[in-house]
Amino acid sequence: MSATVIQAPGGDAPGGQLQARQRILTLVMVWAILLSAPLWLPLVGGYTSLGTRILVLGLAAMALNFLVGFTGMVSFGHAAYFGLGVYGCGLILRYVTASTPLGLLAGLVLGGVAGTVIGALIARRRGIYFAMVTIAFQEIFYFIAYKWNGLTGGFDGLRGFTRANLHLGFATLDIIKNDVVFYYFVLFIFALVVAVMGLILLSPFGRTLLAIRENERRARFLGINIERHIWLAFTLSSIFIAIAGGLYALLNNFADPSSLYTDLSGELVIMCVLGGIRVFWGPLLGAAVYVVLQDYISSHTVNWLFFVGGVFVIVVLFFPRGLLGMLRRRRDA
Amino acid sequence: MVQRKSDGFGRRRVLQGAAAIGAAQVAAPFIVPALGEAPVKIGFVDPLTGSLSIQAVSEVQGARYAVQEINKKGGIMGRELQLLVEDSANDVGTGVEKIRKLIDKDHVNITMGDVNSGIAYAISQVATQKGVLHIVPGGHTDPITGKACAWNVFRVCNTTMMDAGAVTGLLIKKYGKRWFMISPDYAYGHSLKQSFQHYLEAAGGTFENVYMPISASDYSATLIKARAYKPEVLINNMGGLAQIDLAKQFVQFGMNKQMGLGATLFELEAILAVPPEAQAGLASMEWWWNQPGVPHVKEFVAAIYGLYKKPASARHWMGYVAVHSAALAAEKAKSLDGIKLAHAMAGMELPPEVALQEKKVFYRAGDHELMPTIFAGEVHPPSKDSPYDVFSTLDKVDGEKVLPLAATGCHMKYPA
Repeated sequence: MSATVIQAPGGDAPGGQLQARQRILTLVMVWAILLSAPLWLPLVGGYTSLGTRILVLGLAAMALNFLVGFTGMVSFGHAAYFGLGVYGCGLILRYVTASTPLGLLAGLVLGGVAGTVIGALIARRRGIYFAMVTIAFQEIFYFIAYKWNGLTGGFDGLRGFTRANLHLGFATLDIIKNDVVFYYFVLFIFALVVAVMGLILLSPFGRTLLAIRENERRARFLGINIERHIWLAFTLSSIFIAIAGGLYALLNNFADPSSLYTDLSGELVIMCVLGGIRVFWGPLLGAAVYVVLQDYISSHTVNWLFFVGGVFVIVVLFFPRGLLGMLRRRRDA
Repeated sequence: MVQRKSDGFGRRRVLQGAAAIGAAQVAAPFIVPALGEAPVKIGFVDPLTGSLSIQAVSEVQGARYAVQEINKKGGIMGRELQLLVEDSANDVGTGVEKIRKLIDKDHVNITMGDVNSGIAYAISQVATQKGVLHIVPGGHTDPITGKACAWNVFRVCNTTMMDAGAVTGLLIKKYGKRWFMISPDYAYGHSLKQSFQHYLEAAGGTFENVYMPISASDYSATLIKARAYKPEVLINNMGGLAQIDLAKQFVQFGMNKQMGLGATLFELEAILAVPPEAQAGLASMEWWWNQPGVPHVKEFVAAIYGLYKKPASARHWMGYVAVHSAALAAEKAKSLDGIKLAHAMAGMELPPEVALQEKKVFYRAGDHELMPTIFAGEVHPPSKDSPYDVFSTLDKVDGEKVLPLAATGCHMKYPA
């Protein structure tokens, strides 16, 4: 996967060797940072589960960005599919069987099926109408989770389950008690999903999504079935974010309605914008900045949202392409 | 034309300096402090923002005062005691993340929290997984020390069964047996509704209950429904700001002239936040600042007022008792190991200067619930004696009598 290949038209100039080298360098840097995180995080005052949280929310933001940044459809209700991933995983672990892979699969299926059905219903909406309908469906799922006390635990959430260790036949991975092993498990899933996401965006289908984003009318005149492409993009984005939701359930060992609430949808959009919506790795950087700021500032003041909001305003006003987008622009200049 | 000096202290340099200072603030967590003798650390997670913030702030203030007292006397086992406070923002996910941070990053020895029952429930589960002693100062839902009791979890505040049992008799006697309850739709509200239902039905009463979102602020539709039911008393089971909003709207609707008002936790902070007309009804109080003749209470009340310019409330007492209990258990166990601390705390009786009550107060070994005296009485506008004299005790109920161990459903098991 070469993620940084995916960029705005015009930045895709016939690939000079220098650009290719820079892309490889970016990939090496990103993976070196992620692979070594458990080693250096404690040295700089962090902790492993903070790194895991960044990975999970980063994956969720990247999944949302698949739709927002690369298809041009803004969803303010994507927490719905994230939350369904959380509940799908939690319900399997709580009521059916203590199997981590099955839990993740159930989260994927629940979020993916919901995304497929709702995507088909709203693929023809555009702009503010599309965004409003995504919020409306999210509210429906939120209230189901909130009100169905017997199954979901209501406001207090679904408890009484824990992620299960992974039995590989030749070895057992202790992801229950060993935070570092769990981090690498999450990183492995993250890598798989990100690889698939990157390959899709590099494929003709991915290029078509970019074309739709840039000029929908022209793409339609070229004979592209716009609605079907948007529906597929919505479905894929829901599946990716539902996997992130499943990982979130495993991280917290519980599921609660706030995981499919409007606040989270907004936070995911903020992460995308912070990092840069036109850059593949932008949302991951945005998630890292958001989570670290929240973690650090909220320990010092109850007004932490004020500071996070301030950073967001500064980024939007002065770095409209996001942090990573700005860096790449300077590099390309 | 005047040429600018390129090496002067110009605008660009000022901006660079400001950026560097700003970056240093953000980078501060990455500077690991040098340690002398390692302090004992207590991690406290409470909803300092959100609808339960009034109660949470008081709890943390009580805990901070206890830390001051303990450190003045030499700390715990000769080591300084530190209190690390994190905001759960009244959100379960945030609360769980914060307790993880406290245990994994800050390496706290003991954890505490939360006012929100759902969060208290969830974070105590994390503490159990990590083998850390956890004290719940003010989360009331019954299963924490009931069916879901755990070896490492202790609770200072009462269960809903205890609070409801203490005031039900008075409510029936003064108002009658036809009740309308408004309860928050989460663990605490469900427990409280069931507890009231248990006592009311045992007395032959009837009721209707409506669940509202935990942070509800508009009760107009529910109050219309309540009026139509024609109850003799309206039970305000909401908590925090939601309880205050309901009490205010109850008066605005003129319903205080048609029926009585009851609650289990109409706490001092909430009573002082509503207009005088809404300062009415019967309620149970978990601790009260005005206990003539009880040793150490006056000193505690004066100290809290001196520090925070606020009257001492039950929440101050809960935070204070929680921290002192942890310190007493550590001194008794001569260890900070979770299991040893839990064994030391089970059955532990609080000394009078910590208990701040006239009768014996202890942690029951069978469920790890603190067994205090519960105050039941009448809420009223401030008297001439004090602006904080808004509650008169009519009855004092022994906690163990309203909640026998057999009724908790707890089967305590310690790890081998």
